[in-house]
Amino acid sequence: MSLSLSARNVVKRYAGVIALSDANLDVNAGEVVALIGANGSGKSTLSKIINGVVVLDRGQLLLDGKPVNFSSPQAAKSLGISTVFQDLSLIPHMTVAENIWLSREPQKWGGIVDRGQIREKTDALLDLFTGTYKSSLRPEVTVASLPSDEKQIVEILKAVSFDPKLLILDEATASLDSRQVERLFEMVVHWKQNGKAIIFVSHRMEEIFRIADRYSVLRNGKTVGSGEMKEVKTKDIVALMVGDKSAESVVERKKKTQQNSLNRKMQLEVSDLSAEGLKGVSLKLHEGELLGIGGLKGQGQRSLLHTLFGDLVSTGTIKFDGALVKFKNPRQAMNNGVALVPGERAKEGLLFIRSILENLLLPSWGNYGFPTHIRDAQKSASDVSSSLSLKMAGLDEPVSGLSGGNAQKVVIGKWLLRNPRLLLLDDPTKGVDVGTKAEFYSLLTKLCADGVSVLFYSSDDEELLALCDRILVMHDGLIRTELAGESLTKSNLVAASLGASQESMQ
Amino acid sequence: MNRQNWQSFARRNPYLFSFLLLVIIIIVNFFFQHNIFERDTLNSNMRVFLPLIILAAGQAIVILGGGIDISVGSIVSIVNVILATQVGLQGDPQKMYLMMGVALVVGMLAGALNGFFVAFMRLQPIITTYATSFLYAGLALFILPNPGGGIPQSFSTFYRDTTPLGFPLAFIIIAIILLAWGFIQQTRYGRYLFAVGGKAEAAYETAVPVNTVLFSTYVIAGLMAAISGIAITMLVASGNAGTGDQLTLSSVTAVVIGGTALSGGIGGVAGAIIGAVILGFIKNIISFANIDTWWQTFVNAAIIVIALAAPGVIYLFRRRR
Repeated sequence: MSLSLSARNVVKRYAGVIALSDANLDVNAGEVVALIGANGSGKSTLSKIINGVVVLDRGQLLLDGKPVNFSSPQAAKSLGISTVFQDLSLIPHMTVAENIWLSREPQKWGGIVDRGQIREKTDALLDLFTGTYKSSLRPEVTVASLPSDEKQIVEILKAVSFDPKLLILDEATASLDSRQVERLFEMVVHWKQNGKAIIFVSHRMEEIFRIADRYSVLRNGKTVGSGEMKEVKTKDIVALMVGDKSAESVVERKKKTQQNSLNRKMQLEVSDLSAEGLKGVSLKLHEGELLGIGGLKGQGQRSLLHTLFGDLVSTGTIKFDGALVKFKNPRQAMNNGVALVPGERAKEGLLFIRSILENLLLPSWGNYGFPTHIRDAQKSASDVSSSLSLKMAGLDEPVSGLSGGNAQKVVIGKWLLRNPRLLLLDDPTKGVDVGTKAEFYSLLTKLCADGVSVLFYSSDDEELLALCDRILVMHDGLIRTELAGESLTKSNLVAASLGASQESMQ
Repeated sequence: MNRQNWQSFARRNPYLFSFLLLVIIIIVNFFFQHNIFERDTLNSNMRVFLPLIILAAGQAIVILGGGIDISVGSIVSIVNVILATQVGLQGDPQKMYLMMGVALVVGMLAGALNGFFVAFMRLQPIITTYATSFLYAGLALFILPNPGGGIPQSFSTFYRDTTPLGFPLAFIIIAIILLAWGFIQQTRYGRYLFAVGGKAEAAYETAVPVNTVLFSTYVIAGLMAAISGIAITMLVASGNAGTGDQLTLSSVTAVVIGGTALSGGIGGVAGAIIGAVILGFIKNIISFANIDTWWQTFVNAAIIVIALAAPGVIYLFRRRR
């Protein structure tokens, strides 16, 4: 039953974006290895390579020293590798029992599924978590009707039912309560003694320190450190994730702008805003202020920005420019001077196959009369594109031919043409080259000086720290921490994102 | 009853709505056709319904798997013209058997082509099968440009008058389909079908052979379309390249009435059979009541539009609040 698995120099690209550039991981029977990394560092990609969902581009997987090549999840499963997926691999309309035994149903004569046996085996599995269920989790209940923690338990039991030699727990504790986590950890200890190997992917430092024997840290798709858990402290791990020694130092910032903006009037006041993925957020934004939003990916940042743009149904109050507003759709928000640069540029921000001109003018065609004064429109478009120093062959070229940075300039340019007073940015520098980033930062500073208020979510902690005077850290649909002044340090930001307490950092 | 209870109730009783509708339709039909429960009337009704019943059963499998097959009607047409031209009114019964075999193979091949495009080339099912439907319809026209041809009389008589054990032939066929479906549901393949239709990505991560299952649904639909084509040829006893044209829309409607979600993963074949019978009776009522026949198409299309629009309308109302 002993097993060892190594990933060596794994490289994986998705449509030009490098997800993993040099990832390494070793795990042996009877140990728990924590796979740690910040947003987008490639943890999920690496685990998906190990379980065969994704095929690697370069590098090697060694199972017991022999090279293996998983071209499908079936191949990995047959070698005893099983996964608890972060976004759950359950079929909503099938029952708990059907989900757990899917693809390995015990059969009677003639290929008929043995329901009695499935029920018995499911009951036995469900007993593992007895006493922690809020509802009556039974084998014949449909998964769609379960609360999220119990869905997660079903996902865990499903992975366990394979009786794997290697179990990957990808954020398996994210939606469990403390008693359920406790039970899971008891089982992990038991599995370890039985010689199972376990890869534990988590953001929760406290859990990593409790359960893991060794760690491996990924940063930007590269493995930057690994070793024994008992030889390190939270501080060391965070330093590895963050990547430079200046983690403790306050990043240089211009304090002057801060003083100015805070004295100005309030542009946006949000209180108790709730929507899908948002559980009651309150915040204040001054005129000309650049307010940062941080936190791990998917903690409600996107929902917050889209809600403010009138794109999601919400409850709570929004006071904009001193008046209570309730935007029913993005059009109303746009007409009131709000602009959103969405996170998925290609899908939400641009008409990819249409020309740069059309993309730039899409929100503003109404300003050019009927019939359209096309020359005026062309002039506005070429003005804004030269002010953004957009590199292009011509306004009539399709946006799809532009690089990531230039495409993003088009998204921003189309809103600049409308002179917005509130700019909502959803991770605008993702996939943008360094040079464009710098231009982009100076543009933001200039806009703020002109009195535009900016709400700036970024997955890049560095740029948040460099640009913002205030950062709100979101976790699980709530603003968990506000960092400003002295507390505005990189390690505080990372720690707040991970939900680690301040004391554990000392 | 809250929404979750409704969902699990609906899941346990997917055929409830269609069954109630069937009872209502039969009662309405009874006013026009008082002898509806007599054996001969029952038989004459059911033998007309049977081609659609078989076709809808195949369509249900595809839709359960998360796809849709718009080409089934054209496959029916191909089978019809093959039988009508190759066997002929004076044909040898032996030849008829041979050609029925050929028809089944042709149906499965046509289905396999659809399945190849959808499962392995990852093309949109609705576009793909819409395109292949013209391919198959064109082939049917090529084989038989003008209506004509026929099959030996003994086969149409057999289809019309056979009542084994006193039941209409259609009942026997339905029973066989239901038995086969009952068996499939009990097997691993049945689970795969619901899993792939329910959430293909999760099924893939659970080591379900998603592509193979998708492919198989189209082959099954092609096979059922061929059987349906044989039935309709025995019913009308002649060939026409447009025979199946009206049947595609009806087959989808029957599946929808039968409680199968157009998004896949929920429902079953039994509902589709009930749905096909309901559509048959609606057609009856329309002809007895002297209403123009285009109402038939109208009703079919309206049912599909309503089924497609319902979730969106519900969402709109939620958003209003």
